[in-house]
Amino acid sequence: MIERLGFWPRFARSPTALFGLVILAAIVVLAIVGPFLYAADPWAMATTPFQWPGDDPTHPLGSDNAGRDVLAGLIHGARVSLTIGIVAASAAVFIGVVVGAVAGYFRGVVDDLLMRFTEVFQTIPHFLLVIVLVALLQPSTPIICGAIAIVSWPPVARLVRGQFLTLRQRAFVESCVVIGMSAPRIIFTQILPNCIAPIIVTGSIMVASAILIEAGLSFLGLGDPNSMSWGAMIGFGRQSLRTAWYLAAIPGLAIQLTVLAISFVSEGLNDALNPRLG
Amino acid sequence: MGRFLVRRLAQALLVLVLIACTNFLIVNAAPGDMVDVMAGESGAADAAYLAALREKYSLDKPLPVRLGRYLGALATLDLGHSFRHNESVVRLILSRFPATLLLMFSALGIALVGGVVLGVAAARRPGSLRDSVISVVALLGYSTPLFWFGLMLTVLMSVKLGLLPSSGMSTIGEDFGTLGNAVDVGKHLLMPAVTLALFYISTYTRLMRASMLEVSGMDFARTAKAKGLNERQVAYRHVLRNAILPLVSLFGVQLGAVLGGSVVVEVVFGWPGLGTLAFDALFQRDYNLLMGILFLSSVLVVVVNLGVDLLYSVLDPRIEVGR
Amino acid sequence: MNYRDRVKLLGGAGLGLGLRASGLASLAGWAGAAEAQADGGTLRWALTPEPPSLVTAFNSAQMVQQISAKMMDGLVAYDKKLDPLPSLATSWTVADDGRAVTFKLRDGVKWHDGTPFTSADVKYTFEEILRKHHPRGRATFANLESVETPDKLTAVFRLSKPSAYMMAALSASESPILPKHLYEKGDPTTSPQLAAPVGTGPFKFAEWQRGKFIRLVKNPDYWVKGEPHFDALIVRFIPDAGARAVALETGELDVSGGDPVPLADLKRLDALPSLDVTTEGYSMFGAMYYLEFNTRDPQFKDVRVRQAIAHAIDRDFVAKNTWFGYATPATGPISAKQPKFYTDSVPKYAFNTKRAEELLDQAGFPRKADGIRFKISHDPANGSEEYRRFGEYFRQAMKVIGIDVELRLSDAATYQRRIWTDNAYQTTSYGIFTMPDPTIGLQRVYWSKNIKKGVPYSNGSGYTSAEMDALLEAGQTERDPAKRRDIWHKMQVLAMTDLPIIPIINRSHTSVYNKRLAHFTDDVEGVFGTFAAVSRAPK
Repeated sequence: MIERLGFWPRFARSPTALFGLVILAAIVVLAIVGPFLYAADPWAMATTPFQWPGDDPTHPLGSDNAGRDVLAGLIHGARVSLTIGIVAASAAVFIGVVVGAVAGYFRGVVDDLLMRFTEVFQTIPHFLLVIVLVALLQPSTPIICGAIAIVSWPPVARLVRGQFLTLRQRAFVESCVVIGMSAPRIIFTQILPNCIAPIIVTGSIMVASAILIEAGLSFLGLGDPNSMSWGAMIGFGRQSLRTAWYLAAIPGLAIQLTVLAISFVSEGLNDALNPRLG
Repeated sequence: MGRFLVRRLAQALLVLVLIACTNFLIVNAAPGDMVDVMAGESGAADAAYLAALREKYSLDKPLPVRLGRYLGALATLDLGHSFRHNESVVRLILSRFPATLLLMFSALGIALVGGVVLGVAAARRPGSLRDSVISVVALLGYSTPLFWFGLMLTVLMSVKLGLLPSSGMSTIGEDFGTLGNAVDVGKHLLMPAVTLALFYISTYTRLMRASMLEVSGMDFARTAKAKGLNERQVAYRHVLRNAILPLVSLFGVQLGAVLGGSVVVEVVFGWPGLGTLAFDALFQRDYNLLMGILFLSSVLVVVVNLGVDLLYSVLDPRIEVGR
Repeated sequence: MNYRDRVKLLGGAGLGLGLRASGLASLAGWAGAAEAQADGGTLRWALTPEPPSLVTAFNSAQMVQQISAKMMDGLVAYDKKLDPLPSLATSWTVADDGRAVTFKLRDGVKWHDGTPFTSADVKYTFEEILRKHHPRGRATFANLESVETPDKLTAVFRLSKPSAYMMAALSASESPILPKHLYEKGDPTTSPQLAAPVGTGPFKFAEWQRGKFIRLVKNPDYWVKGEPHFDALIVRFIPDAGARAVALETGELDVSGGDPVPLADLKRLDALPSLDVTTEGYSMFGAMYYLEFNTRDPQFKDVRVRQAIAHAIDRDFVAKNTWFGYATPATGPISAKQPKFYTDSVPKYAFNTKRAEELLDQAGFPRKADGIRFKISHDPANGSEEYRRFGEYFRQAMKVIGIDVELRLSDAATYQRRIWTDNAYQTTSYGIFTMPDPTIGLQRVYWSKNIKKGVPYSNGSGYTSAEMDALLEAGQTERDPAKRRDIWHKMQVLAMTDLPIIPIINRSHTSVYNKRLAHFTDDVEGVFGTFAAVSRAPK
């Protein structure tokens, strides 16, 4: 006999998922509360450049190539990186759900056209397209989020379409059609709630990959020059790698930890929402 | 099968045309063009000079006309001329293609081997400490920003230890003979390939583990166990052979994405491949070259995907092709 | 074999490769040491970025200038005082009315393909190529009516007006002499010569592997006996600055110029026993960094606003921190390294934030409730990390006096469009070469007749002043050096009074070279020179 556990107990069964959740929560708290607790302006050129962590107690993690406080940058970077990650991922999910739902529900020619459209964005090399979009338009936060979303939505669309194709044929949906419920209502109130689980899992993975893409963009110098992100910090430290490698190491570790935590949580969500046997 | 093939080909063609149009519109939507770049680099120029250049490169015609011309040329497999390099786009791409192919093949090869090894190890004792450690290590590989890892690796191996060359594909102006040259390229290849592999190893490990677990539960595996073969024999002789199929198809698919996947690694290591070519083409506003690279890589992905689908259907008769 | 053995094998192979690597490296080092005494061997040079073509007569981008000068000579070279030295021309005389310059050319010079060099080549180069196609040449040689060739070794330049500044633009990197017989058939701008040039210079073109390197070989018939000292010159393309630093450190490279490594790294490299860092070799360029206002913007109509911003920029701090000391604060638009024209008797704007705030209050821009007076945007130019960091400094410096700055970054093409075609900016900052003569390099940003849409480094700010125009135009044709210097002194005073541009710093560019090279710093042009005299240092 298989026990039907509730969501949280299933999630909590995995130690890595719990660990990930704790870390992620800590980072989110840091992002929200941090700037109030440690009030240094990350952009202020407050001190001499290239101070190692621990040299100066007023700047616990040292200073970067322009004398900016690394710890302040780290805290503000949390906010920037997380925000971009979440916004970009949400946009990707939104686009993907709309396209996938329409394609999967209406099928036929609509499906064919939408799937070709999806393939276009799946086939063009992703990172290259992001770089092209950001470089040609302007490196600013909205454009970066948009560019990341544009390359990220196809897997969501495919997933949602697959779900819709299957669920569309189920009896409960057919009966709604028969009683004359409008298509949008069926989509949003009947089918979508039943495939929320894989969408959430995919969405969480997208947050992680969005953070990584943004870091890559900032590193290449294509990040928003008015927001201090972790990727940008690595970019600042790139030129002084030999003597001041802590400048690249510290934000790199931050990115790694955040993405790892998100990945653990995604796996936990996946296990909890799609229980497998064995 | 024949009808399936024709239909898929038609679809692929449509997608490619759409991609060509999309690339063209994106690339031309931005303010500024190649003549602006050239003028800026010269540090001077006058209006007549710039106008003459624009006319020479046909940059002064309206957008729809240029799009039409581009699509027409594409139909005859003419990808145009790179004015910046004074060379045909196709020849430029072909000259850099081997470098990128070498890098991707090596990286994917390392990732495949590593993924199989780790995935099998994890799958043989699911839920154990070994399994958890391997999963965490695999995820760590996925979470590490590649450029950061590449930089740290360079600091360690080139600067501190002096063991490996820091950039490029070979030592310039030296000829070590055929074997020596191969070793020289290998030394230059090691760090970029390992860095790139880091990202893919996570996927292969998890896929291998999941696939092994799935196949172990199947009838023929249980039969083998019942026949009295020990666990190790079952794992390697029977399960592995079948479980590795999804990885093979993934390998093929990722190889198809060869042209776009390695931009960051190529930039960090100065690897003279298509990634750096595209990156430079972007900032030089060498539209023909940039669109050429984007287009050819898309063609490659489409072709490889089609090939993998066909291969898979041949290998696994349970899959019915053409539904 | 189980997987454990497989992993061990892979690991062992890796270690083997590592040992091999260090073995080969030490072998190369030993071979290098053995060559220290004699001529010959290979000079390894890194050039960034990879040039699109190799003949600077058609493209004056700095990397094209550098590579072109190794294969093609100019009429003259220059000494450390920036006075002309004989090169392909052995002597020159200016006519009394200043409207003719007679050059006597060197005898016995051959092109790389064996054909003799004659005055017909000079005539062709200046009339057909430089005056028509060189981006700066069109302006520099605008007054050149024709080149007469009374005999094979004499060229007479006929000018419509006296143009003293022309003599400062005749080096190999600015006006290379091209072989008429190889360009005259067909369109010179698409000639295959551009990718495989023939010249008279110390090195001959051998091969170009795109994305990797260019190989040049010694010209055995070079017109200076005993030069060049190297058998081959390898020009490597290493796009990443960190990788170049490593290559210099490990000795894979002998030399690289044009700020090859991040400024932050230079101190460390200089301290190494094998390397030297020099700021020589760039005095010809008069490199400056300017902050420019879009004078059309109503925000900057009041000169007090511009003055306030000048007072709020700590140029000392910028020179020390943004440029790591490889710059000095600028007092005016002309480089302090050009004593022929520079003066510091100009209105000064010392760093004084109080004064800045006073000026802004007077101009009618008080602080509002949130502490901000007004918002502006700033577009730093591309091409250098330092430009971007200056943009970041500028934002912080303006914050102190209550101005909110939004930084806008873009790639080169977009930047060009924005500033010089669309004039769609409020402030911008960029590096500029004012060249050895201010008529060539400085006039273009202050002259109202040079407001040209679409032309970079033209007068993008829209600054128009009849007084300035008069000064600039007088400076073009004045022949008396003392009077000319007077005119340019007056120009500098006016420039710093009207302040459409705030000069920030005099820049020093850097080259890094391995101490096993000798005579690298002898040439005033450094990496922009011919490398003919560079040799191995005696042990």
